[in-house]
Amino acid sequence: MMLQPDLVQFMTVGGGQAHNSNREEGFSEATEQQEEMRRQTEEGNPFTFSPQLLRLHRDHELFEDGDVLRHMYLQDLFISEAEEQPAPSVSEFACHISGCSVVFSTLDEYEHHYNSLHRHVCCSCRRSLPSAHLLDIHLQEWHDSLFIILAQKQDMYLCLVEGCGQKFRTSQERKDHLIRVHKYPPDFRFDKNRKEKGTRDTRREHRTDTAMEAADDVSRSEGVCEVMCSVQSNQLEQEESMEAHASSEEAARIEDISASAQTSETSTEALKLKYSYRVPKTVCFGQGSVRGFRGQRGRRK
Amino acid sequence: MWRLNKVRHKAGGHANTLEELRLRRREKERALRQARRDRQLVSKRLLLNEDEEQDLMEITPGEQDVVSLFHALQHSGTDKEAYLRTLSKALRNPSAQLTFIKLENSMHLLVGLLTGSDARCRLQAVRCLHELSHSPHTSMASACLPATPYLLTYLSGQSTKFTELCLYTLGNICPDNEVVKERLLAQGIIPALASCIQNQTHNLAVVEAAGFTLFQLLQTKDAVQKVIPMVLASSLPSQLLSVLTPDPEFGLAPAIECAWCLHSLTSSTVDHRELLAQGALTQCSSLLVSLGGAVVEGNTDQGVELLVCPLLRCVGNLLSSCPVEALSSQLGDVHLVAALCELVFAFLHSFPALARETAWVLNNLTAHSTELCSALLTFNLAPRLMELLPFSQGINTMILRVLANVAHKKKEFCIRLAELGLLSALAATLKMANQDMVTLSLEVLFMMIVSSPQIAEQFVRQGGLSVLEAIQYNNEGEVRRRATHLLEQHILT
Repeated sequence: MMLQPDLVQFMTVGGGQAHNSNREEGFSEATEQQEEMRRQTEEGNPFTFSPQLLRLHRDHELFEDGDVLRHMYLQDLFISEAEEQPAPSVSEFACHISGCSVVFSTLDEYEHHYNSLHRHVCCSCRRSLPSAHLLDIHLQEWHDSLFIILAQKQDMYLCLVEGCGQKFRTSQERKDHLIRVHKYPPDFRFDKNRKEKGTRDTRREHRTDTAMEAADDVSRSEGVCEVMCSVQSNQLEQEESMEAHASSEEAARIEDISASAQTSETSTEALKLKYSYRVPKTVCFGQGSVRGFRGQRGRRK
Repeated sequence: MWRLNKVRHKAGGHANTLEELRLRRREKERALRQARRDRQLVSKRLLLNEDEEQDLMEITPGEQDVVSLFHALQHSGTDKEAYLRTLSKALRNPSAQLTFIKLENSMHLLVGLLTGSDARCRLQAVRCLHELSHSPHTSMASACLPATPYLLTYLSGQSTKFTELCLYTLGNICPDNEVVKERLLAQGIIPALASCIQNQTHNLAVVEAAGFTLFQLLQTKDAVQKVIPMVLASSLPSQLLSVLTPDPEFGLAPAIECAWCLHSLTSSTVDHRELLAQGALTQCSSLLVSLGGAVVEGNTDQGVELLVCPLLRCVGNLLSSCPVEALSSQLGDVHLVAALCELVFAFLHSFPALARETAWVLNNLTAHSTELCSALLTFNLAPRLMELLPFSQGINTMILRVLANVAHKKKEFCIRLAELGLLSALAATLKMANQDMVTLSLEVLFMMIVSSPQIAEQFVRQGGLSVLEAIQYNNEGEVRRRATHLLEQHILT
């Protein structure tokens, strides 16, 4: 429970201004550091904290429990034993990604969630990969137009197992290798090809329209990472991360839908897109700008 | 005098199981909360006879008895005391109370007996009035008006039990009714209370009763305009302060009442100069230090929270008026900051609301005082405070504010805080669901990072970048802006 504004307010001592930098209207500042704050905001600095003396009026909400205790005592109902006191509550953690409204009770859960779903995300198609290695491979094989050219002449398909390092001329050869040498299942989920669109297409058509539109809107071109909000798209995203579906369908349709995406976006926006903001190109989500601009190769202009 | 350990049954109580008692208490608590939200929180007290304190299972006489008792009193000669005694028991019953005051001349009779020459009858008469004052019917207060000038006069008397009854009767009726309150003020209740406490400081039962009555007066509507100025102008504040230290034999009760009066005064007014001049901050804070130490050791009477709570509030609000230059002279002792820190922990599981209030006082203590922030670091309290950051419901936000106060003072403090592990703590708080925690965490992080490049490096080493990157996708624009600014202007450059 954050401290809520109280109905009864004190007059601010020493000045009539009422601006409260920390949005806690129930308190009144007994001292001011407005000059500094104004200066900061003028410089484009969004940080506004300054220490504040907080005066609490008698009727303030913060005092409620103590007052109740006092009156329980006056009415002979006070017990000192804490048997009936609730245990102190602990803050939850929540995924920051707008639209991902999952809440966690421990930090570990948060980290696991974040690492699983948001960390190794492809900037181009927003697919979430389980590791940096697989993300690298994904970016190279799905979004790098140079890759196709090079692959015609040399072994480019890198083994998915980290540390193996072997390269193959075709994805099929790699797959065989994975099955034979590394004992992978034939339907390993993170080894889908760009070209495999048939089954996915038909399957997708059977889904609801809104889900479809959400998926379409997922893929954005121009290196802009947009975050969508809706439970459905969330679930879809999770499914997608498990089954990397052919991006070629998206890649091919990107140009088709980029025009229509605007309209479909606005229509779904009303339904589901609550937050959609652009991240500057210098920062690519999920990959860390310090690591460079991955995923921007082969980006459509 | 009140015994804290016994949970007593109200009048007409029947045998309750523990479970029923718990249920009743919970209901009562809910009712009190609602009353407070409606700004109608008022309680009355009933002083029981010594012979009654064990058991209230006696059958209270019905209404008919009241009428016949009244007639008996009007006509009898020598048995008045016995009739009065019976009447007082009968008047425990709310409907009997109503019946009684509707009888013509009933109050006149009582007042006559109250002021008569028979001292024992006076005692019983005041007991009857006391029962009436405790009535749930608000009409009783006005009915008791004829008695008030006498009750006030008797406050300067020396008979303990009698004075106590007068006081509690007055205390019970004054919040009920504006007319009653006005009348009491005009009749001089404030000077009467002041001289009562002054003359009876040795008589702690009376002091407790007077404290209660003053508290009730301070709860009345428009107390700020009508009551408080008069109280502040009287000698009451200094007297209240002199009673604050609890007597080990008598117990906490008088100190509790006086502390709550002081809280009513400090939390209703803005100008605390008078109270500060009388040493209110000094007194309350040193008492907090000693009580705090006892609480932590587990070495206290039951109900010490009832005293610590108003003391905390007094200190908190007085601090907000105390200029920082005067702080060290007013506080005398920087150990307050350590005592408060330990109090938060002591209350964390038993009374989390008090833990929150303590954290608030810590904020006010550290807001503008470099000396106290330095003491916080010297006493190695920062790691302790960081342990509190998981706890919600206002505790962690206030504690983080305290840490922010410290970081705000000096670069050296930021560096010290970083050495003590604040960056790791922030890595967790930045991921909390509470947006205020996230915003405040970013503010603290900002202060830390701009104070030293090593801190920025440490933050990055500890994996802080991905947290900030994630925060750039937060719902709140203000949060996103801060994260972006931090990344772009201070970490990645």
